[in-house]
Amino acid sequence: MKIKKLFTLLLIMTMAFTFCTGCSSDDTPDTKTGDDQTLYLRLTSPLQSTDWQQTSNLDGNKITYIQLFEGLYGMDEASGGYYNLLAKDIQVSDDGLIYTVNLVDATFQNGDVMTADDVVFSYNLAMENSKFGYVTSMIDKIEAKDDKTVVLTLKYPYSAISHTFFTIKIVSQREYEETTASGGAFGTAPHTAGTGPYYVTEYDVSAGVKLAAYENYWQGAPAIKNVEYRVITDDAAAVIAFENGEIDYLCDAPLSEWANIEEAAGERCSLVKANDIQFLAINYSSPSNNGILANEKVREAIFYAINKDNIVQASTNGLGSPAYEYMVPEYVATSPKASDGKFATYDYNQDACHQCLLDAGFSEEEIAAGIPVGTILTYPSDTSPKGKAAVVIQDCLKQNGMIAEVEIRESAACSNDLYGQNYDLAIYSDSGNYDYNNIRQMLHSESVGMYLVNYKDDKGTFDWKYMEDLIDQGVTATDVKERYDIYTELWSYAMDTKTLLPLYHSAVGIAWSDRIKVEKLNPMYYHLTDISWAE
Amino acid sequence: MFMIFQKKEANIDASLYQGQSKVKEIWRRLRKSKGAMIGLIMLVVMAVALLGAPLFVSYDSAINQDFSLMLAKPCKEHFFGNDGYGRDIFARIIYGGRTSIGIALLATVASCIVGSMLGAIAGFFGGAVDNVIMRSLDIFMSVPDILFTMAVVYALGASFTNLIVALTLAYFTNYVRLVRSEVLTLSEQDYVEASKAGGAGGLRIILSHIIPNAVGVIIVNTTLNVAKIILYESTLSFLGLGMPSPTPEWGQMLSESREFMRNAPHLMIFPALAIVITACSINLVGDGLRDALDPHLKS
Amino acid sequence: MYKYVIKRILFLIPTIIGVTLIIYFVMNLTPGDPGRAILGSGVSQEDVDAYNHAIGYDLPFFQKFLNYLGNMFFHGDFGISYVTKQSVFNEIWPRYITTIELAFIGMFVSTVIGIPLGIYAAVKQYSATDTVASLVSFLLAAVPTFVLGLVLLFFFALKLNWLPSYGIPDWTGYIMPTLAISIPIAAQNFRFTKSSMLDAIHQDYVRTARAKGASERIVVWKHVLKNALLPVITQIGLNLGVLLCGAVVAEQLFSVQGIGSLIVARITLKDEPVIIAGTILISICFTVVMLLVDLIYAFIDPRIRAKYTKKRG
Repeated sequence: MKIKKLFTLLLIMTMAFTFCTGCSSDDTPDTKTGDDQTLYLRLTSPLQSTDWQQTSNLDGNKITYIQLFEGLYGMDEASGGYYNLLAKDIQVSDDGLIYTVNLVDATFQNGDVMTADDVVFSYNLAMENSKFGYVTSMIDKIEAKDDKTVVLTLKYPYSAISHTFFTIKIVSQREYEETTASGGAFGTAPHTAGTGPYYVTEYDVSAGVKLAAYENYWQGAPAIKNVEYRVITDDAAAVIAFENGEIDYLCDAPLSEWANIEEAAGERCSLVKANDIQFLAINYSSPSNNGILANEKVREAIFYAINKDNIVQASTNGLGSPAYEYMVPEYVATSPKASDGKFATYDYNQDACHQCLLDAGFSEEEIAAGIPVGTILTYPSDTSPKGKAAVVIQDCLKQNGMIAEVEIRESAACSNDLYGQNYDLAIYSDSGNYDYNNIRQMLHSESVGMYLVNYKDDKGTFDWKYMEDLIDQGVTATDVKERYDIYTELWSYAMDTKTLLPLYHSAVGIAWSDRIKVEKLNPMYYHLTDISWAE
Repeated sequence: MFMIFQKKEANIDASLYQGQSKVKEIWRRLRKSKGAMIGLIMLVVMAVALLGAPLFVSYDSAINQDFSLMLAKPCKEHFFGNDGYGRDIFARIIYGGRTSIGIALLATVASCIVGSMLGAIAGFFGGAVDNVIMRSLDIFMSVPDILFTMAVVYALGASFTNLIVALTLAYFTNYVRLVRSEVLTLSEQDYVEASKAGGAGGLRIILSHIIPNAVGVIIVNTTLNVAKIILYESTLSFLGLGMPSPTPEWGQMLSESREFMRNAPHLMIFPALAIVITACSINLVGDGLRDALDPHLKS
Repeated sequence: MYKYVIKRILFLIPTIIGVTLIIYFVMNLTPGDPGRAILGSGVSQEDVDAYNHAIGYDLPFFQKFLNYLGNMFFHGDFGISYVTKQSVFNEIWPRYITTIELAFIGMFVSTVIGIPLGIYAAVKQYSATDTVASLVSFLLAAVPTFVLGLVLLFFFALKLNWLPSYGIPDWTGYIMPTLAISIPIAAQNFRFTKSSMLDAIHQDYVRTARAKGASERIVVWKHVLKNALLPVITQIGLNLGVLLCGAVVAEQLFSVQGIGSLIVARITLKDEPVIIAGTILISICFTVVMLLVDLIYAFIDPRIRAKYTKKRG
């Protein structure tokens, strides 16, 4: 009968298709025996590249910046300092312009000895990439003096150069050139062009990454030989995977599930203060509501209306901490400290807020009805920490007589408006600051990118010259105490402009399985070399 | 509720040519269906609750935050507990229903109008017009809805109107095919032939003869579409493209509740129930209507 | 008939052009640019513009569109991803296969569960099975996919620890994502089949057959099924679109590296080559499935077959 035939046909077709396609991707999970044990970690999204210059999310940088490649300096995040890595030592000339770098005896994962030429090659490569302009723009030239010595000349004295030494990674010139000469783009395949403790053995841009230990690593072979990254996009699934033992080391654990993680991990988990800052920027030149934000008192009222504790509750499940400084003083030695009491912090104060609005010329009735102050713009989604902060601030303002809309957009779509000062209020974040000179990007008119508030305007609203002088002084001064004083003065002035309000520092949750021991916890970059198998 | 009224009106239009008795007949058959009646009663109860919301719960309690009640369990003061900002979930469900159902209704109506017109034009004029419309539609339909909707919402930003535009784009295609095939059948009917012969213009025939007669099929589809769109809205919210804060909306409530699923499941249960109950009621009524409109199933 | 098939396959070309045009148009409307998305915040607008220029993003609309079509049709080249610098085809193909696998297994599961149950429920109307199945299908058709997925994740991965919580390590990895996308569709198929069957059962010729004394089995198999299944087959084809939409959610939730989640992720980075190529592959799949549906239709229904044969003349 036709119907029956058809049914059979349909069944066979579907099944055949299922099997054909199904079999191709079937692979059996590797069995763990003895030395072949594999360490499993989570990736929130597939690794974009195996080239350190091309990974653009933190998750990817954690692999390329630390495990695969190394810079002249390493970074000790927990104590806020840099240490010599590929540089054996660095001598600075008296005028602070010439850096002479002696290199250690390291080899690339392909066996080649690292030479001064590789360093010069890598620096030149980075200097050509506009993405790294923020750490290379002060470099005049770099030359190899001999096989193991490099001379770096700066355009002007620059005390934050350590971050450049950390950021720029050294890549094997031979392997890089061979890859590009054969028509491939570097970073699209596994390579052995780094000096780091691990190299990529398998890389599938649509799935995970596998790393293997570099046995001849110049600081000694790593304890863990095989590492596999598994892509888990969903936070809830990641926590379940950790609880089920499918993930050994979970960094950036979802804070809303921290209670579950603590229960599963017991002693084997820890919360570290994140090296980040979420802050509110007010565009004083916004035309919104007849330029209401140009009124200093209104901006002050907004500052007083914001309850940072509530934001910490909503955005970090109560695990973060309210922020008063732009950078975390624990991690940045020269950062101003609120405890010194040398700058205003605008703690939540409803009376002060009300008074400010009255001073700004609004009547009680207007305040009761709500004064429109514009739109709070942020990214990337309404369930993200910044999105939640926006929702909380909206409610804070409402309870204090001000009305704001919330607009949450995708990050790339948002940034052009932010950098173009096309917003009213914005919640933005910055992370990974290890030198206070990074404040330059926020306050110096010649900085590129994150100059969210246009201090340098024609009307002379602010003494932008004063701020820029302080920034220049700060970066040329070498003494920590001196820099600290300059930056305190700078931040005090910045807070008085009532345009930038630090909101909170997040928390980083780290948990690990009973299969491993972890020596050191860092807020951002973990080192696989700090991990070893438990007995 | 709106929907019911609208349906009745549409039916009256439809029966201009067949007399009032058809509406009565349909209503009589609809009343016999237990499922449809349950659905209808639920929808009426919901409509009363949503429209009369300001009488028993204030909008402020749906948007005011109170962090001392963050993730609080259901209690006497807050029937459904409180969400991650300490907002009253009951109030948010009530006011969220207004947004969700409002968007779904408007998007359905918009896609129905756009789709029906296109379908009627394609079916009535046939030939090249039909070909152009239907082939473009084929191309249009082969792009997955979800990509379209996402791109449109990204481009225009998430707001009440933009969500309606995006959802309309995703749903109007159903109507084109439906109405076109309906029109093709109807065009062969005597009275349409007669009007054509009588020199009536194309648009006039479409509006006065074809659309009213295709109305039955359209109504059933429209009803079922409302339920689909409510579900689709929640998918959009899951992908981060829902209504902006602080306006409550069911899909957005669901996606916000995701991270608290394990420790405070009530955040997810109530909006999920609201969606399921609404969609079920609408489907019940839609099924009942389909049966009532189809004389074959009389027995 | 063959002519018809060839015609339909040839229609893929305008479809591909149309899809490319639509996507370019929509992407043109969305704000942001790949340069800014890739280079990050610390880069000046001039550098961002230079980057966009280097990857050919800043070309005029039609030039970009024609270039892309030319490369695709004449060189079989889908371009290079703006983000990963990988060949787009290499990047999307494995993911495409994964998604198609999910969608087809979902299609299979939802058909195998929904349709026989629907037939049974219609034949044994008002039986206990019918009542229970109708009720359950009613509820399941109204549950959002991601809620269903989360509940599955919670029970099977966490509480019972039977299934992997992410990805597709082996065949067990398919279970949750396919269930999440196929359960609502199975419910819909059930409802659709049942009502279509009931429609057919109440037709006059069925009554005539019964009156003539034909056995119930023959009535159902010979007369009812054939007529009732025609609309159901179209429905199965159209389900593919819904399945692909569900796949986007399921991929996100279960960390399956499919094309849906890739496109969604790259929309925000404006990685046009990947978005367009992905959409084209999906639309080809959709077109082919719809063609198959039409052919099956013709295979069953001689009237429609006659129409195609007539067209040949």
